Amino acid sequence: MPLSARGRQIAGELRGATSGVSAGVLGCEVVRHDELCVGCGRCVSACPTGAMRQDDWFDPAQLFAAPAGTARGALAAALRRIARHEPSGPFRVPERIRTFRGILFSADLCAGCGACVRACPTAALEACSVPVGGVEAELRAPAALGARS
Amino acid sequence: MTAPAVATPQARVPELGAADVPGSDVIADAADGERTIVAFLCRECAYSAADAAGNARTPLPPTIRTIMVPCTGRVSPLHLLAALADGADGVYVGGCLEGQCHHRVGNFHALDRVAFVRRLLESVGVEPERAAMFTMSAADTPRFVATARGMDATIARLPRLPRS
Repeated sequence: MPLSARGRQIAGELRGATSGVSAGVLGCEVVRHDELCVGCGRCVSACPTGAMRQDDWFDPAQLFAAPAGTARGALAAALRRIARHEPSGPFRVPERIRTFRGILFSADLCAGCGACVRACPTAALEACSVPVGGVEAELRAPAALGARS
Repeated sequence: MTAPAVATPQARVPELGAADVPGSDVIADAADGERTIVAFLCRECAYSAADAAGNARTPLPPTIRTIMVPCTGRVSPLHLLAALADGADGVYVGGCLEGQCHHRVGNFHALDRVAFVRRLLESVGVEPERAAMFTMSAADTPRFVATARGMDATIARLPRLPRS
């Protein structure tokens, strides 16, 4: 869909938009910092397209990467004291464990609205603005037009 | 002239950190070579059973250290792991029978958390038997004694837990 005059004006104003600013359909790219994630799942409930969901599996390596001073960091510190080797791969999480779950992100479903970024309490999600010119060019490209019609 | 050092009320309040979880202070008095097992017991059921066992002068393994919790739903994975990291060789949670939790679902949460801790221990090469969950009714003193002795026997078979 080609941009309207108003759309082009908004796109101009959005040029160089900072992280955390939702750019609507022009979008942002969500960059994840898994070590900061506390598994609260707020991004999952905030996501309008279902691109974020909670996994049934948990990777203890994510726990070991958590920064000290956080609840996950304390858990990792205790575990590290008794650990005999580096954590082996992910394991299935019992049903009532809500926070120790991986967050799955499917880029195909992501609309780039940035709702998850605003919902994240620990800044584990970061919005990187997509160059607006690039999006505009992509929208005008014949391939994109063909795909959308 | 220097001002007299006056401790403000705020200065006397200890900082509550992750190390201050229950289980850190009760295991320090274990003699060298003696194993320690920390038991988190629910106030309504398991602790009552333990109390009755104590009143009846039933001999219990000397390794068991009991901690009363209002509900087993209060016990988090950090409580269990902090106890293990600070010197316990085993931890277990004693709660109400399934469906009889006085806070409705606390023991189910505890069951899953213990299962999570067991998988976590397994993933770093520690025997998962070091964490366990038992359920019993308040009147079931024999079951409390049996689980305490059973846990003691399980931990006695395992080597001491090395710490770094």
